[in-house]
Amino acid sequence: MTDEKKINIVLAGQGNSGKSVVFNYLTGLHQHIGNWAGKTIEKREGTLYYKGYTIDVLDLPGIYSLTTWSVEEVISREYIIHHHPDFVINIVDSTNLERNLIFTLQLLELECPVVMALNMIDLAKKKGITIDFKKLQGIIHAPVIPVVASQGSGLTRIIDKVIDLKGEKADHRIHRYGKEIESCIRQLSEILQGIDLPYPVRWIAIKLLEKDNDVTKLVSEKRTGVIDKVRQLNGYLEEIHGHDSSVVIADERSHLASQITREIVKITPDRKLSLNEKLDAITTQKFTGYLVMVLILGGMFLTVFSFGNWLSGVFDTIFKGWHNLWNFNVGDSFLASLGWAAIEGVLALVQIAFPYILPFYIILYLLEDWGYIARISFLMDKLMHKMGIHGKGCISFIIGFGCNVPGCISCRIMESKRERFITAVLVTLVPCSAVSVIIFGLVGKYVGLLWALSLYLFAVAVIFIAGKISSKLLLGEPVELIMPMPDYKTPHLKTIAYQTWDALKEFIFIAAPIVIVSGVVIQAINLAGWMPAISDFLSPVTVTWLGLPAITGILLIFGILRKELILVMLAAFLGTTNFSDALTPQQMITLAVVSMFYIPCVATISVLWKEYGWKKAMAICVMEILFAILLAGVAKRILDLIF
Amino acid sequence: MNNKKNRTGLTELEDGQTGIIVSVLGGKTLTKRLADLGITSGTEVKVIRRTLFSGPVQVEVAGSRLVLGNGLASKIVVETK
Ligand SMILES: Nc1nc2c(ncn2[C@@H]2O[C@H](COP(=O)(O)OP(=O)(O)O)[C@@H](O)[C@H]2O)c(=O)[nH]1
Ligand SMILES: [Mg+2]
Repeated sequence: MTDEKKINIVLAGQGNSGKSVVFNYLTGLHQHIGNWAGKTIEKREGTLYYKGYTIDVLDLPGIYSLTTWSVEEVISREYIIHHHPDFVINIVDSTNLERNLIFTLQLLELECPVVMALNMIDLAKKKGITIDFKKLQGIIHAPVIPVVASQGSGLTRIIDKVIDLKGEKADHRIHRYGKEIESCIRQLSEILQGIDLPYPVRWIAIKLLEKDNDVTKLVSEKRTGVIDKVRQLNGYLEEIHGHDSSVVIADERSHLASQITREIVKITPDRKLSLNEKLDAITTQKFTGYLVMVLILGGMFLTVFSFGNWLSGVFDTIFKGWHNLWNFNVGDSFLASLGWAAIEGVLALVQIAFPYILPFYIILYLLEDWGYIARISFLMDKLMHKMGIHGKGCISFIIGFGCNVPGCISCRIMESKRERFITAVLVTLVPCSAVSVIIFGLVGKYVGLLWALSLYLFAVAVIFIAGKISSKLLLGEPVELIMPMPDYKTPHLKTIAYQTWDALKEFIFIAAPIVIVSGVVIQAINLAGWMPAISDFLSPVTVTWLGLPAITGILLIFGILRKELILVMLAAFLGTTNFSDALTPQQMITLAVVSMFYIPCVATISVLWKEYGWKKAMAICVMEILFAILLAGVAKRILDLIF
Repeated sequence: MNNKKNRTGLTELEDGQTGIIVSVLGGKTLTKRLADLGITSGTEVKVIRRTLFSGPVQVEVAGSRLVLGNGLASKIVVETK
């Protein structure tokens, strides 16, 4: 009986149509994130209890609204086809109706029950757009409900509709294409009739004509004869239309969407330039655009770092006595020390997650929800192309400045494997907040602020050159930027809060195990008394080549856990935080250069491992170790001439 | 001569200028992806603005704003009056 009271719904729609807002409204706190098996794209699941029904809701997002549409189409279709949800709620941005309708038409072809939520009616009104949704309902043979997701209005009507329609046979009369295409679809459908396939026949016929790889492969495995017929029909279509048949159907779909739009939309244009237009002009124009970008990003980092320094100071005072407390109560035996190392790992995560990552994510998601992040990609695309990736990669770099871990995770927004990997490698070279602690705490404080800032410029140069090299080494066509430019919108704070929380949780789950385990292992090595041997072993590099004190060998090993440990442990070894007593300026700069590049921290390594496999993760580590040693050695020799 | 129709790449349009898409010179994957976004032959496209040093182009097509990389935009052939 419980089954009758259970409904599965999936939210599908283009990026920025309001899926996340709808999802958060419907499911509130009853939600969690899962991963697609084998896919790097996450899904969100949540549950809604309504009028005695248990309604499972699934959001199919990319991590950012910037993921290209092709990805969303494939994911939606995969999910819908394999999991047979009871309803697909198609969220449509009514201010971009025509483009959104193309996706709707694709959804309808899947012949699943669709309910359309015509979202952002408030914004449409402001733009002078009126939509005859009753007429649209008649055209697509599916219910259309106007909603304003950000105010929650209309959303319960969707659910009421779903409950209403449950169990009823959906109307699968769908749109028709031109005569020739329909005749091809009919011919194919006839041959396909007898074959046992888990999809709607008409959809398969369309996908075959569109030369969809997956579908073609599937059908040819069942019956090879069909493919010959497909080839013949494709040839026929190409002859008539003059281009590839895969494009012929997409073209028609697009024209159909534009025709429908003309039938149902009335626009009374406002002569006045809207606030959105003005903001868009200022933030994307040739000169003001870059100026605003520098101000916004600068402000972001300043806010994050000053808040971070303050809060981590607070944590420092809170955690200060804990080690002694532990030693006093548990003792300082071998095991007790290992236990403390584990606790220290947890504390360290807290020290990074809340002071730095949390505010960073809040601001980032705020900018994203507002619509600004897409502008950065637009402005930076040209420069990014010189590194073999496109404008969206810049977003991962920005995130990487806060912490490399989410920076590497965010590379999922890149479309091709090649670009995703290049971006991730470059992100590991971005000085994260822990490295910034070293740069400012050592070089900034004791050598000069100008030197510290030059190190950042140096990092940018290194990233740029590394990008150039890796884009040459990794063969493949660079992907061009194709990105919808969203309007500026009032940020929706609840959604931002959920997104921030999710991201923070993801960071902790990925980073925690490896940080704790490796902390314990390194402590064990330390307690076993092997550290001097290790620093001796490393001394040809650290002392002879880099001209640093022998203890740096140990520091660099601890630094793999968290980069700022290099500084913390240095102070511990020296027994003072006045580093100028022990190190010359050139040693400080050399140490900073090594710290910046020598290896990603363990948490970052674990992300690389998870996303690209252990071979690539190890390759990156080895390359960066060699590179940093070489670079810092050369730097030392140049610095010796300067100082 | 104002009535004569010119064919150029999208990148050749001035900011604010409109053209009708004639064809897309690219592989079928690219052409299909663009069609999925409403960029097909016969559709009107308006260049809003671009960035410094021949960067990407911001366009309005099918009632929506899109950003297209420069190399890509130059492959979209448009007809202007
Ligand atoms: N004014 C207005 N803004 C909305 C509405 N629905 C969503 N938004 C905003 O539209 C943007 C994109 O929404 P989001 O849920 O992230 O889209 P998604 O990419 O489909 O998940 C966000 O800035 C939302 O706050 C609406 O009905 N009215
Ligand atoms: Mg979203």
